[in-house]
Amino acid sequence: MLLLLENFLISISAIFANKARSSLTALGIVIGVFSVTMMGTLITGLDKTFEGSMSFLGKNILYVGRWEWFSDMDWWEMKNRPRIKLEYIDKIKNKSDLVLAVAPERRKGVSISYQEKNTGIEIFGTSENYMKTISSNIVSGRFFTNNEDRSGSRIIVIGDGVKKAFFGEKNPIGEKIKINNIKFRIIGVLEEQGKFMGIWSLDNRAIIPLGTYERIFSRRDFLTMRVKIPDKNLNEGKDEIMTIMRHLRSLKPNQKNDFSINQTKAFEKQYNSLKLAIGGTGTFITLLSLIVGGIGVMNIMFVSVKERTREIGVRKAIGATKGMIMGQFLMEAITICLFAGLTGLLFAYISSFFLNKLFPSTLDLGLATFAILISMLVGVVSGFIPSYQAANLDPIDSLRYE
Amino acid sequence: MTLISLKSIYKIYNVGGEEVRALDGVGLEIKENEYLAIMGPSGSGKSTMMNMIGCLDTPTSGFYQFEGEMVNEMDDDQLASIRNRKIGFIFQTFNLLPKATSQHNVEIPLIYANIRKNKRTELAMEALNSVGLSDRMHHKPNELSGGQRQRVAIARALVNSPSIILADEPTGNLDSKSGHEIMVILDKLHKAGNTIILVTHEDEIAQHAHRIIRLFDGKIIEDSEIKK
Repeated sequence: MLLLLENFLISISAIFANKARSSLTALGIVIGVFSVTMMGTLITGLDKTFEGSMSFLGKNILYVGRWEWFSDMDWWEMKNRPRIKLEYIDKIKNKSDLVLAVAPERRKGVSISYQEKNTGIEIFGTSENYMKTISSNIVSGRFFTNNEDRSGSRIIVIGDGVKKAFFGEKNPIGEKIKINNIKFRIIGVLEEQGKFMGIWSLDNRAIIPLGTYERIFSRRDFLTMRVKIPDKNLNEGKDEIMTIMRHLRSLKPNQKNDFSINQTKAFEKQYNSLKLAIGGTGTFITLLSLIVGGIGVMNIMFVSVKERTREIGVRKAIGATKGMIMGQFLMEAITICLFAGLTGLLFAYISSFFLNKLFPSTLDLGLATFAILISMLVGVVSGFIPSYQAANLDPIDSLRYE
Repeated sequence: MTLISLKSIYKIYNVGGEEVRALDGVGLEIKENEYLAIMGPSGSGKSTMMNMIGCLDTPTSGFYQFEGEMVNEMDDDQLASIRNRKIGFIFQTFNLLPKATSQHNVEIPLIYANIRKNKRTELAMEALNSVGLSDRMHHKPNELSGGQRQRVAIARALVNSPSIILADEPTGNLDSKSGHEIMVILDKLHKAGNTIILVTHEDEIAQHAHRIIRLFDGKIIEDSEIKK
């Protein structure tokens, strides 16, 4: 224990005596530790964001429509599929045992204005049941009713982003805003959602009754059905909807589906492959730089042993055993790597602040510890052969070494 | 009391297929508080003899007893321990660690003897004091004169209270004045009861000793007392 401390002090002074050399040597380790911690930070940050976004989209919602998400199916094939009809909604609801709620959804990008201000948003046309199929709530005002939907009332529920852009902290209920020069009365405001994967704002949107939407915009925009199924019956629900849809479309057993049932799972698959790519690249960079760094440290340790051959001879003459010499040089290699690891960690820590501006990311303490242990391990591995060589030098020859 | 006993020591090297007998059947006894000079021309086996006595080297054959312990049967770690506890080396080229202070240089043998920091500082101060360098504790070797460096080296050799002090050409790199000072210190250490072994080729230096061994071709050719 005493010797360990002494060796540590010897290493510190040896390293500081060769500052430039030691820091250049350690660069590979610095990069290695930096990349492993950044990779970890990135992935945990993405995970958190993704988890949040997923719960917003709703894990237990099936999206029935013409388009298959993340599919390699031909675009024109999906484009030529028959439309989803509004009447399916009631039929699904009636025939299914599992479905909790079904809501239609048409959407398009529009420009919305209030007094002199205007902004681009996405407008949704849907039914009264919509609120049952999303995970957010109305924070002020109310949602529209079935009657308002059927009569095509010009009323609108706005997202938090629209409220902030036009009204700030003022109460917007009852105010009139314009889309395509048609006035809408605000009846409700949605809860703030944040950004999907930290990029797309989910708050710059507004919802109007589907009846109103079809009168003002179009009946021909493609329609998606949002079908809510209890969490535990998700797969059965999917099979059930598929059977009902095939029946509605009168498909023969040998015919392919001419519709798609999508799940947020599709995102998960995409996301996992992204994660794998980040993880793979990060691991590759980390390994490569640790190996290069390790070789650098080994090289510098060979130089250090050579330069200090005489010192090794003297130390042996006055009583150092092989183990003690070995310990001294191993400690030196480990200390270089430890400093390098700490430097990499510091850079990663600073970078995580910048990363934090994009999405929530914090440097994980466990990961930091792991990174430091890895860098020390590199020290042990790369310091081993030079230290072994030092320990086995002949004291008489080393004392004579010039 | 006999401190060191060498019996028919052979050290044989194989240089390019040719057998070289660096030590060729040497026998020697050294008693406590002797002051011994080992002399001889280069190639006489003088250095091998010193390395052997200093437990840096082991004989090809023969018996070496140090205070009753059989050195020729020891492994590397046991030899290191003997060197640490029982032998104080003084080299021609001082061999101090250039980046360490006098105090740290003197403390190194104590570190390997696993002695605590407080005790180490105390012993190092004592040793430096005995060579008259108590005011140079925190100087590094390059801030000291040659004579002072050798005195630090003597302090390092003394600090573990060894059984013998082994000095290899201690004045070889010094001017005559500094060299004289070093010899005065060694004489004093002998008077204080230490056993001293000098290796030198200078007669003048050897005259400080009380017994002279002359080596030639790996054999002892003379072993004489000097009457003072």
